[in-house]
Amino acid sequence: MKILVCIKQVPDMESKFKVDAGGTWYAKTDLAWRMNEYDEYAVEQSVQLKEQVKDADLTVLCIGSDQVKETMKKALAMGCDRGAHIADDNASGKEPFEIAGIIAEYAKDKNFDLIFTGMQSQDRGSAQVGVLVAEMLGLPSVSTVVHFAYEGGTVEAKRELEGGIKACVKVQAPVVITCQLGMNTPRYPTLPNIMKAKKKELLSIPVQELLKVDSRQETARIYFPEKKGGGLVLEGDIAEMADKLIQILKEKTAVLA
Amino acid sequence: MIFEHTEEQNLLRDMVREFAENEVAPSARERDEEERFDRPLMFGRLAELGLTGIVFPEEYGGAGADYISYAIAVEELSRVCASTGVTLSAHLSLGSNPIYLFGSETQKQTFLMPLAEGRKMGAFGLTEPSAGTDAGGTKTTAIKEGDHWLLNGTKIFITNAGEAEIYIVFARTDKTAEKHHGISAFIVEKGAPGFSFGKKEQKMGIRSSPTMELVFQDCRIEADNLLGSEGEGFKVAMKTLDGGRIGIASQALGIAQGALDVAVGYAKERKQFDSPICRFQGIQFQLADMATQIEAARLLVYQSAYRASHGLSYSRESAMAKLMASETAMRVSTQAVQILGGYGYTREFPVERMMRDAKITEIYEGTSEVQRMVIGSALTR
Repeated sequence: MKILVCIKQVPDMESKFKVDAGGTWYAKTDLAWRMNEYDEYAVEQSVQLKEQVKDADLTVLCIGSDQVKETMKKALAMGCDRGAHIADDNASGKEPFEIAGIIAEYAKDKNFDLIFTGMQSQDRGSAQVGVLVAEMLGLPSVSTVVHFAYEGGTVEAKRELEGGIKACVKVQAPVVITCQLGMNTPRYPTLPNIMKAKKKELLSIPVQELLKVDSRQETARIYFPEKKGGGLVLEGDIAEMADKLIQILKEKTAVLA
Repeated sequence: MIFEHTEEQNLLRDMVREFAENEVAPSARERDEEERFDRPLMFGRLAELGLTGIVFPEEYGGAGADYISYAIAVEELSRVCASTGVTLSAHLSLGSNPIYLFGSETQKQTFLMPLAEGRKMGAFGLTEPSAGTDAGGTKTTAIKEGDHWLLNGTKIFITNAGEAEIYIVFARTDKTAEKHHGISAFIVEKGAPGFSFGKKEQKMGIRSSPTMELVFQDCRIEADNLLGSEGEGFKVAMKTLDGGRIGIASQALGIAQGALDVAVGYAKERKQFDSPICRFQGIQFQLADMATQIEAARLLVYQSAYRASHGLSYSRESAMAKLMASETAMRVSTQAVQILGGYGYTREFPVERMMRDAKITEIYEGTSEVQRMVIGSALTR
């Protein structure tokens, strides 16, 4: 079995973000970087599948500058067999269609049985790349997956819908799965595995070799939303505050109606 | 001197930090109050993550990483729980490293392997009621009887005692030799006949780490359990403590960083006179000094770890690192309590625990005064 898991390196979400000089992305200085949280679930699921089927080869793919290799090493330490680094110093300037095009071009003649991606990235959050890759490769895709099981070529996936509803989907591999938070418990990369990851294959491929599609959209500007009025802080003794709260809830909401 | 971490060291730091914050921190306060050692968490999980044998080669069950990785792991654990940090440090630097440095191949296979893999825990018994800083004053004796040694005496203040399965114990084998020359090192297993544990210490800090007496009453151990040559014990102890200082320096560094992180977080939230207190220059200057001292200590710790990893002498450097880091931990944690004010003095916030924990780093594995002696004698030799 051949498995591909696609990951992205994103800033730690506790970082202080600033809009960059071009006004279309955030400034990359003074940020700490880590694996996109959704992708951690994708890596974990792909490693679990590899452990289940035993005879599997698991490739982790990541697009970006040399800096992303550190995040790829984490995926290798978690259990991926090899890394495909698509070298691109301007990955953040590419829109989802281009990113998906690069991944599909890489994957098209490699006969992957399963392709895992995160449901979305924590920074751009388009949630398009996984499903676009499937479309470009002519594969089915199952998105927002919270539970995954595989048996003899059949995938049974549980999807998370709005309003707390779940859906069960059965699909034949090859298939693209986009992973939702909470799908599993991502393992820690143990120190011995971190050390072993050093010796695993990590090939760099120039993005020019794989970028065959044109962009279809452009980000005009990114910005922080204007600050609305701050929250209301009630002060005084507890009985007074409770009275005020009840009054506000009655006047402004329907919860006590 | 530049310390740019390798990708592996960065991944290790992220991993240990995540583990420490998610699994170790939540129970740190409770374990401190109850003086409770949680072995599955504080040692078992470390073994699963491959941290119990960080610096030892893979052939002995280790991870084959360097001393900077070791320093990072102890630092990150101690940032949230100094007791967990010292558990690892005492196990690895004191309980396991002497076997790696001085053990025979058989001893490495028999004892180091399970220690490095975390199947067994290590400890170190040097201090006695009348021999601490003055290791030459060791009164515990070992007498050869056929194929065995008979040990008699008491060791005090032993970290990991009671929990550890393997103890490095120092005893006088030659009463006629001059102070330092008649001491030998032994590997003693828990359960050896005549080996028991005395009272458990009730401590000011690192309360979740067990500290007990080791009692030897005609304790019989195999002749093969002599570690290194007979009479070489003082050398074993001193060499071990050189490395141990890196562990304690890292522990102190972690305590200091943890206290600073809490203080910064609090100063940003806490409002007085309609402004977060971090806007006041008085607070900013304090935080700036704390951060600067920590950074200086960190460079000394990494320098000594770098030298240890590259086969360079590091006795003086590790003494400087431990001296600086432990005094920084005490100063910074005390200041953190001050910044948190009344809240800092309560157990609701972790800084009072950090302040109590910091004090021991100025005392064990060589007091600050001993570190100054080591540095001073290196300067004037």
